[in-house]
Amino acid sequence: MNKKRSLLPDCAEAGYCCDKKQYDEASFLEKIKMLLHLAICKPCRKYASNNTKLTKLIEKSNLKPCPEEEKKMWKETIEKEISK
Amino acid sequence: MSINKIDPTKWVDKYSDYLFNYTIARVNDRELANDIISETFLAGLKSMKNFKGEASERTWLISILKRKIIDQYRKVNSNKGRAEVKINYKEDSNEGDWLEEQAPDRFDKTAEDIMENEELGLAILNCMENLTKKQAKIFKMKTIDDVDTDTICNEFNITPSNLWVIIHRARTTLAQCLEKNWFQNE
Repeated sequence: MNKKRSLLPDCAEAGYCCDKKQYDEASFLEKIKMLLHLAICKPCRKYASNNTKLTKLIEKSNLKPCPEEEKKMWKETIEKEISK
Repeated sequence: MSINKIDPTKWVDKYSDYLFNYTIARVNDRELANDIISETFLAGLKSMKNFKGEASERTWLISILKRKIIDQYRKVNSNKGRAEVKINYKEDSNEGDWLEEQAPDRFDKTAEDIMENEELGLAILNCMENLTKKQAKIFKMKTIDDVDTDTICNEFNITPSNLWVIIHRARTTLAQCLEKNWFQNE
């Protein structure tokens, strides 16, 4: 049972591998397992395809992180102004 | 029509990423963008009583931000006469470098592309509003700030598998939202 499960992962595990792959954190084995699952599971293929699209869109959008220290400063300024 | 409420204590958490990316696309200078956003929040606080609740809080803040950005453009323009032209390619030390320095931006990247990417970024941030606060924060750290898994786990005191569950939920929600609004264009 255990062995079978490790060879053919379920949707949850395939999804987990697929997410890790988006951040280049999936191991070789995880990638193989995911591909095995995708070969037999249409909904997961759809998820994987959308997930990859999402990664590409985020890259393309070139979103910039707003610096945390600025956020903190703005919060303080706003609070100070309100309490005036 | 529902009346939108205003709550300045939540502005930074809810809108700063959106405002920041909106501004940086227009002024292309971090420091300046920070100043403009700071001014926007202050102006927002001052004119809060004029907020009628007809538009969303964010739309209202963006309209203030737009005015601040235009003010900035005007300031830059009025300084134009005093602009300094620097030509230092004659210096011996960097002779030969000028070709590279003078190279134009990529030809294949048109203004339209840049605008589309900016809209896309704002669309993604828009969709992120469907996430819970924790999901959004962790997703942003992992995806946009590129913080590694261990650091995030330590900060939020969660296990890596917790983290991946959160990421999975966030990605599913975002993909669904973007599918409605964006994927069909691709």
